[in-house]
Amino acid sequence: MTGKSLGLVFFPAFDWAITPSHPEREERLLYTRDQIVEEGLLDLPAIREYRPRLAQIQDAERVHIGVPDIASLITDAHLVSAGGAITAAEAVMHREVNRAFALVRPPGHHAMRVVHGTRGFCTINIEAIMVEYLRRYYGLNRVAIVDTDVHHGDGTQDIFYHDPDTLFISFHQDGRTLYPGTGAIHEMGSPGALCSTVNIPLPPGTTDAGLHYVLDNLVLPVLEDFKPDIIINSAGQDNHYSDPLANMAVTAQGYALLAEKLKADIAVLEGGYSIEDALPYVNTGIILAMAGLDYSRVIEPDIARCPRQSDANTRYIAKLVTEWQEIWHARNKLRHEAVAKAGDFWQRRRGIYYDDSGIQEQRTETVRLCPRCHGYLTISTQAEGYPFGRKSAFAAIIPRNACPVCRNQAHDAVQKAKKEGRHDHCFIQDKDKDTLEHI
Amino acid sequence: MLLGIDVGGTFTDAVVIRNGKILASAKTPTTHYELLNGIITAIDKVLAKINLREVKRVALSTTIVTNALVEGKIDKVALLLLPGPGLNLAGLTPAQPYFLSGYTDHRGREQAAPVKDEVVAVCREIKDCKAVAVAGKFAVRNPAQEQVVAGWAGECLKPAHITLGAELSGALNYLRRVNSAYYNSAVWRIFTNFAVAIEAALAERGVAAPVYILKADGGTLPLAAAKARPVEAIFTGPAASVLGIMALAAPEGPAVSLDIGGTTTDIALWQNGAPLFAPGGARVNGFPTAVRSFWLRSVGVGGDSYVRRENGRIAVGPMRRGPAMANGGPEPAVTDALIVAGLIDYGDVALARQAMTKVAATGQTPEDAAWEALRTAADIVCQAIRDMLAEQAAMPVYKVEDIVYGEKFIPKLVIGVGGAALGLAPLVAEQMELPWQVPPGHMVANAVGAASARQTTEITLRADTAQGFYTVPELGIKRDIDRRRFTLDDAWAAADNHLAERAAAGGLTEATCHSERLYEEEFNVIRGFNTIGKIITCKLQLKPGVLTQVTAQEVGQ
Ligand SMILES: [Zn+2]
Ligand SMILES: [Zn+2]
Repeated sequence: MTGKSLGLVFFPAFDWAITPSHPEREERLLYTRDQIVEEGLLDLPAIREYRPRLAQIQDAERVHIGVPDIASLITDAHLVSAGGAITAAEAVMHREVNRAFALVRPPGHHAMRVVHGTRGFCTINIEAIMVEYLRRYYGLNRVAIVDTDVHHGDGTQDIFYHDPDTLFISFHQDGRTLYPGTGAIHEMGSPGALCSTVNIPLPPGTTDAGLHYVLDNLVLPVLEDFKPDIIINSAGQDNHYSDPLANMAVTAQGYALLAEKLKADIAVLEGGYSIEDALPYVNTGIILAMAGLDYSRVIEPDIARCPRQSDANTRYIAKLVTEWQEIWHARNKLRHEAVAKAGDFWQRRRGIYYDDSGIQEQRTETVRLCPRCHGYLTISTQAEGYPFGRKSAFAAIIPRNACPVCRNQAHDAVQKAKKEGRHDHCFIQDKDKDTLEHI
Repeated sequence: MLLGIDVGGTFTDAVVIRNGKILASAKTPTTHYELLNGIITAIDKVLAKINLREVKRVALSTTIVTNALVEGKIDKVALLLLPGPGLNLAGLTPAQPYFLSGYTDHRGREQAAPVKDEVVAVCREIKDCKAVAVAGKFAVRNPAQEQVVAGWAGECLKPAHITLGAELSGALNYLRRVNSAYYNSAVWRIFTNFAVAIEAALAERGVAAPVYILKADGGTLPLAAAKARPVEAIFTGPAASVLGIMALAAPEGPAVSLDIGGTTTDIALWQNGAPLFAPGGARVNGFPTAVRSFWLRSVGVGGDSYVRRENGRIAVGPMRRGPAMANGGPEPAVTDALIVAGLIDYGDVALARQAMTKVAATGQTPEDAAWEALRTAADIVCQAIRDMLAEQAAMPVYKVEDIVYGEKFIPKLVIGVGGAALGLAPLVAEQMELPWQVPPGHMVANAVGAASARQTTEITLRADTAQGFYTVPELGIKRDIDRRRFTLDDAWAAADNHLAERAAAGGLTEATCHSERLYEEEFNVIRGFNTIGKIITCKLQLKPGVLTQVTAQEVGQ
C-alpha cells in the first residue's frame, strides 16, 4: 500500500452526449470537475487519480448479447466508461489504493443482458462488465452490488437475476412513481437465486433520515450476512433534493455518510442530473468520505430548500424494512420452496421499453433449475423500432462452472433454434470459455 | 548585449552574450550567506573587459527565494481564507489560517457576503503581521470578495504587503492558490530587500540596463513586477538550465534533456520545442502551489556522486562525499570513473585510478570498475526517465478523443548539459537507444538560459454568457458582456487585449507577438431543454522561450 486510500478515475467525457440538450450531455460533470479541481482534491496524498483504459469489446460481450452485435450499438465513450470502472477495480485489486471511485459517464445500470439500443441513458452495464472482469481475471466469486441511484437498477438486476453469488440491493424511488417502473419487493431473483435480489422501493420525499434508516436496519445487516468478497456501489446521485428527474430529498451529507458506512471497495457513478446544484457537492462529499477525510463542511448553498420527511413516510419506511427483515430471515426456506415449486425449468416473459431509442422488446427467458450448477439460460427476444423495423435473436447462456448436462442442453437449444429459423440471430455465450459466438 | 547570472548550489556563473555568441563567461563560488557578494564578484569578473553601456539587459536566476524557504527565513503571514463549503483545510496549509465567512460558488456567484467585523477582529489578533495573504474559493470565477477582504485588512493592519490568491494564478485549485499566496507574502520582504540591493550594486557599477528575474516557468519578470510576485522566482536554477538548452540546442522534436551537475541530474521532457510543464504547479516545502514550473525530475546522480561497493555490486549516489578523488576529494566519485573510462580529460588521472581500484572487485581492472560505475549511474537516470514517460502516459485526460487517439510521447533525442554531460549523456542515450547531443557552451548553460530568457505571462478568461460577465482573475477583472452576442471569438479577442495590457503594464517589451493559445473550452448552459447561455474558457500565454539562439565555442573557466 502506498498510503493512498482512494483511487479516482475521473472521466467527464467532455466530447460525448446522447443529444445536445439530453440530461446525459457533455457538461454533466463540468461543474463537478470545477469543484474537485478547485478543492485541490487531486493533490491530496490520500487520493490518486487514474486515467481510464479503453475496455475491449470482449469485456462487454462477457456480459451482453448485442443484437446484431454490441460493437454497432455503442460508441468509444461507452468503452472508456466501462474501462474506467475496470481501471478503478484493478487499482483496488492491485492494492495500490484501499478503495476506488469511477466518476465516469455514460452510466450503465439500465442496460440489460440483451441489448437492442439505449435505455435510461445506458447502453452497456459498466458495473456488470467490471464484475465479470473481476471474476474472470481475479477469481472473485461472491459480489455485492448496492445500487444507490434513485432509479431502479433494472439492468443490473436482469443480468444477475439467476446468480445466487451476486447480491443485488437496490433502493430507489418507488417504481409506481418513476422510471423504469420496476423494482418492487417481490422481484427477488429466480428460484435458484431467490433473495439475492433485494429491492427497496421508497416513497417520494424520502430524506437522509429515511435513507439511513434503510441502510442501518436492512442494507448493512444483509451485507453482513451475505459476506461478499467485494462490495460495489452503483453510485447514482439522483436521490438529491434538487434532482430534476426524481422526487427524493437526500443531501450531500446524506450521500457522504452513506459512502462512509457502506465502505464499498469500488463505487461507480450512475445517474445524477442536478449537474450544477447537486453533483459538485455530492461528488466532493463521496470522494472525501471514501478517502477517509473530513466531509463535514460539504454543504449545498441552498440546503434550506431541502424538505423534511413526512411522518407518513417515516412510518411507511419502517414497515417496509420490517417486511424485508422477515423475508431475509426466511430466505433459505423461501428458496427451497420456490425451487421445489418451479420444477426443472423456470420461465418469464416480459416487455421492455427502450425510452432513449424508442424500441419495444418482447423477451422470454427460460432458466434450468439444475441441482449441479447455476443452470443454463435461454433468451428469445424480438424488438421493434426505428430505423431497423424488427429484429429477433435467440441466445443460450452457459454459466460459470456449468455442469456437462447444462452445457450440452444449451448447445442443443441454440442448434434447434437455428434450424427452426424463426430468429434473425442465434448466439451462444459461454462464461467458462469466455466467448460469445454468433451461430 | 545580454548579461545573465545563475546562482547555483556550488558556483555562480555569469555570461555576456552578443549577437547570439558567448562573449565572456565567469564562474565564482556561490556565497550562501551573503548571496549578493558572489553575484557581484561574478558580475565584476565577466564585465571586466566589457563596455558597460552596451549591456542592454541583465537577467538573474537566483536561489534567494528557495533558500529563504529552505532555511525558514520567512515572515509571519496572516492567512485569511474564504473557503466556503467543501474540504476542511485545517492542517493542509503551511500556516494556521483564519477562516472567514462569505463565499462564491463555481459559477462565480456570491452565495454569502464577507463580514467586515470578522476581518477587523482577526486583524486585532494579528497586529504584528506585516504580510497578509487573502484567498477565496472560486475567486478565479469572481475576484470581488478577495478584493473586499484585502481592502479591509489593509485598512486595519496597514501591512507592508498583501497577496491576493487569484492574482497569482487564474487556474482552478484553491489549495494551490492558498499555498502560493502564503509563500508569496512570506518571502516578500527578503526578496524585496535583495532586489533593492541588486539594483543599488548595478547602479554603482554604472549598469543602467533593466534587470529581470527568472521564474520557475522559464520566463522572466522585470524586477519591479517580481517584487509583487516573488514566489514565482523559486526553483529558477533548473528553469535556467532548461532555457539554456533551448538557446544552445533548440530541440524541435520530442526529446529528453539532462542537466548533469555535481550532485544531481535534472531531467526534462520536450515537445514542440518547449519543455513540458508540471501539472498544477510546483511543490514548495512539500505543499502544492500554483507556481507554474517546468516538469522536472531530479535524481541523485552527478559528477560528485559517491561511488562504493555494496553487497558485491557498485552503488552510485545519491549522496556526495566531497569532490572526486581526482579533484582532491576523499572518496571515489562518478568523475573518477569518467576519467578512468577515458570519457573526460580533467583532474589527476593517477588519483582517479586509485579511486577505481578502491571500488574494483577482486580481479577487476580499474577500467572495468569505472565502466560498471558509469553503467550503474546511467541505469539510475534511465529508470527515472522511464518513470517520467510512464507518468506522462498515465496523465489524466477528459475527452474520449484523447483516450482513443491520444499520441504517446516517445523521445527521439537525448540532450545533455552540465559538468559531467559529455561523459554520462552518451551512456544514457545508448541505453535508451537514442541519438544524443551535448551542445557547446553546455558548461554555462544555466547562465546562458538566464541571459536569453524571454518574458512570459499567462491569463485566463472565463465568460459566463448566461450570467452576462467574464473574469480575468490574474488582472482582478470582472466585466459585463452582451449575453446574446458574446462568442468564443469575442472571448479570444478580449483575451488577446488583456494579455497585451498585462504585458505592457509589466514592462514586457515584446508584447504579444509570441502569444500562444493554451486551452479553450466551450459548454452550453441548459435549463429544461433550452440553451440559455455558454460557459467559455480561454487560456493564453506569452510562450516561454529565448530571445536568441546562442552558439558557443567552449569557453575557458
Ligand atoms: Zn438514475
Ligand atoms: Zn447444470
